[in-house]
Amino acid sequence: MAQADMLWRGLRGVALTLVVVFFLFPIFWIVLMSFETNETVLQVPPTLTPHLTLQNYVALLSGKLNTATGIINITFLHNLWNSVLLSTCSVLVALILGVPAAYAFARFRFRGGEDIAFTLLSFRFAPPLLVLLPLTLYFQDIGLSNTYVGLIWIYQLICLPLILWIVRGYFEDASPDIEYAYRVDGHSWWKAFTKIAIPLAGPGIAAAALLSFIFAWNNFVFALVLASADKQPVTVGALAFVTASGIQYGIIAAAIVLSILPTLALALYAQRWLVEGLSLGAVKG
Amino acid sequence: MNTAITKNGLHAQAIRTAFGKTTVLHDVSLAVAPGETLVLFGPSGSGKTVLLRAIAGLDPNATGHVTIAGRDVTTAGPEGRSIGVAFQNFALYPHMSARENIASPLRARKLPEREIDEKVSAIAKLLKIDHVLAQQPRALSNGQKQRTALARALVGSPKILLMDDPLRNVDAKLRYEMRMELPRLLRRANAAAVYVTQDYREAMALGDRIAVLIDGHIVQLDDPERVYAAPASVAVARLFGDPPLNLVPCRPTLANDGLHVSVFGLDLTLSMAGALAGREAMLGLRPDSIAIFADPQPGAVAATIAAVTPLHGKVVLLLRTQAGDEILASQVGRAPETGSTIWFRPETDTALLYDTETGLLAGEARTATEEAA
Amino acid sequence: MSEIPVTPPPLPRRPILPRALPYLLSLPALLVCIGILIPFVTAVWYSLERYNLSMPYMRSFIWFRNYISLFTDPDFWNTIQVSLIYTISTVVLELLLGLGIALLLRERSRLNNIISIALLMPLMTAPAIAALMWKLMTNPGFGVLSWLISLVGVTDFKWASSPHTAMFTVVLVDIWVYTPFMMILLLAGLRSLPQQPFEAAKLDGVNAGFVFLRITLPMLTPFLFTAVLFRTLDSIQQFDIIYAMTQGGPGNSLLVFQVRAYLEFFSYTNVGRSAAILMVLWAITYVLSQVFVRQWMKLRERAHGAS
Repeated sequence: MAQADMLWRGLRGVALTLVVVFFLFPIFWIVLMSFETNETVLQVPPTLTPHLTLQNYVALLSGKLNTATGIINITFLHNLWNSVLLSTCSVLVALILGVPAAYAFARFRFRGGEDIAFTLLSFRFAPPLLVLLPLTLYFQDIGLSNTYVGLIWIYQLICLPLILWIVRGYFEDASPDIEYAYRVDGHSWWKAFTKIAIPLAGPGIAAAALLSFIFAWNNFVFALVLASADKQPVTVGALAFVTASGIQYGIIAAAIVLSILPTLALALYAQRWLVEGLSLGAVKG
Repeated sequence: MNTAITKNGLHAQAIRTAFGKTTVLHDVSLAVAPGETLVLFGPSGSGKTVLLRAIAGLDPNATGHVTIAGRDVTTAGPEGRSIGVAFQNFALYPHMSARENIASPLRARKLPEREIDEKVSAIAKLLKIDHVLAQQPRALSNGQKQRTALARALVGSPKILLMDDPLRNVDAKLRYEMRMELPRLLRRANAAAVYVTQDYREAMALGDRIAVLIDGHIVQLDDPERVYAAPASVAVARLFGDPPLNLVPCRPTLANDGLHVSVFGLDLTLSMAGALAGREAMLGLRPDSIAIFADPQPGAVAATIAAVTPLHGKVVLLLRTQAGDEILASQVGRAPETGSTIWFRPETDTALLYDTETGLLAGEARTATEEAA
Repeated sequence: MSEIPVTPPPLPRRPILPRALPYLLSLPALLVCIGILIPFVTAVWYSLERYNLSMPYMRSFIWFRNYISLFTDPDFWNTIQVSLIYTISTVVLELLLGLGIALLLRERSRLNNIISIALLMPLMTAPAIAALMWKLMTNPGFGVLSWLISLVGVTDFKWASSPHTAMFTVVLVDIWVYTPFMMILLLAGLRSLPQQPFEAAKLDGVNAGFVFLRITLPMLTPFLFTAVLFRTLDSIQQFDIIYAMTQGGPGNSLLVFQVRAYLEFFSYTNVGRSAAILMVLWAITYVLSQVFVRQWMKLRERAHGAS
């Protein structure tokens, strides 16, 4: 019995180790690579004692890259800035649009309310290109093609359902009596909303905002279809980077690290809400 | 309609609420004078809370007129009605201290800080929670939460006080304490108070009048003693009183000396009008008006004691006659043993008679009427 | 209503504002809805048109001819086949792996929690970026994976650049990114299950296999169902990983629905045909999402009822 138990524990340990290696090794390898010189990167077999350097990051952040054929200008920093701008603004807009709507769906039963809520949810599962391709033609007509405004608007496809359904759950969990009590005290509806309802749903709003930031940041196809080089976020920019000739692999790795670092950091911070966010509010962690 | 009430107190007229196709309140009207406490009594789901919400202006779909202190507030929101509400689940603001919770109605009126401080301290002292004012609600005991909620409802000296079963969620000891304290607090507040409860003792202890709400209708509106002595219908009788009224099926016959009913093999004479003669009826007998004897007595029926339960300092006995009829009796003092045989005699001077078909009170013994009057 | 009950004289209702409030609050979200429904409706229209951007003068309404030509085109059947293979293999493998890992991490211990959080990192990586990472790792020159398999004697493995192994490679990347999704959802599900049945089974000495098949799996079903549907909906629409890795190639080996529609639109400027492909995909996802939403609502009610 004890032997079987030992064996079982041993197997479990081996399995877990394999799992951890499979899922974490690629990240570890890319991070390592981003600190290596081109010579080290190209070495086969890989060396166990690499010479580490910051030169890849310096090149990326300074925007100037010395190569055999001369100096290449890198716009990666601009891509990074676009990612920050697009994700932040999209989340802010989604909060402004989504929080009041989430409150309405949680507090009132009104004609058409559930229909709007479920239509928004269904956007999450419709093929994005179905909307994007006609939009490329529309955006040209209304002057939104290759603008931040147009991109932020279409990013609502990702952010709004997330905000709406997670925050709605938090509003539903708070007793409406607390707001009623505040109004009976003599406060206006607006004050009850801002001083009671929003603070009580605060953790949910924060979680939904962080998660929609992550998903907006990680989005690829919207900007690929709708943005030109100067408006592209890191996801699209990094791809252009790989296909551009003459760029060293260490620098690509550094670009990848910089692209995934913000979302990984946010995810670590928001990990206890991740399950709820990933299931659009249906499962609590 | 009392004009004094209309001018000063609370006056709700034809309040109707429907959720979808189900009507929850059927044009309910009530009036409460300043300083008076009207208890809204009824089983759960009868519409008590819905009515309270309509009066408070929290239900945008309710129709009807609400007048508070002579002002028609029908179209005003809850913030414009100058009412105090104590919610069943306390509804404290979890992110504010007890002090800020209580201060909320005063802040809404933008009173100077000093005045707010004074008023909060005064009401907190009155309710014995002045030592926990700095705490957040989650750090308070249930009783302290309860008192904080009451303090918040009272602090602004509202003209109307609505209390939605505020003692429901506290334990028996606290409920007893508050039941003793509340009348004093209510008198001091001098507001027109509506108090919702499902507990008939609470209703009796606190109400100047009791409105019994069943299925969205007020079926009886009367003094507590009258509601207890003469429930207006079988439904009210079943809710009011613990142990409840005995309801014995019978068919009264009219004779010269009054109405006769034959129950438990006894021929009882009731001194009441004979409207129900010859029809299906229910004889209502309070358990405390069943006289119990250890020995055979003239006019008493033999029965065995099927069960004995102590209740509120009394003993409730379930009696079973030889014919298998059951009746509840209550008495003060030592209880006879289960299984022993006793003799009981219904006292007819407080007997009630209900029409089986309508469930309504059709007659009461004259002595009972005289006593109440 | 057949009969109007007798009512007292008409009574004023509360003013219009409180009753309009929910509409006012959800109006902005509604406008976004409409703004997104318009291109959708346009796409439906496009799919019924002969519409090629390079030949605008040819544009005309042709009913279902785009669909007919699609379903008689072996290339489109190839797209359906490739998409199905991709979807089924990713979802099944991720389900098995995710469930296995969730069972390994089931006990709430500090180490297990740290591992489960660490395993979320691939999921938080943008799928397009993840594809780039794997592209570097499978580089024939210096890629660490190419080197590793050369150690076991496989030297001519071409990863994503060979039509024979491209599917394997992108499925591997998908598994790397999305297995944590299955894992974390099922882990949350496992940990939310009531403990009594398990304790009872332990007392009765029921063996582990039986407990798993007869207690764990049935109770976990709503979570399994939701997670599988969720992943199926995403997987059948996969674009990022495949496009970033191979742009649908080599040849037509990875032309899944959205990649084909994208190329049809941007490379061949055939708007009508592209829209028709997407409509077929939409029809599939619509049916799936109806089933999904029902499951999802059940879980949601459970989560909110429990709190």
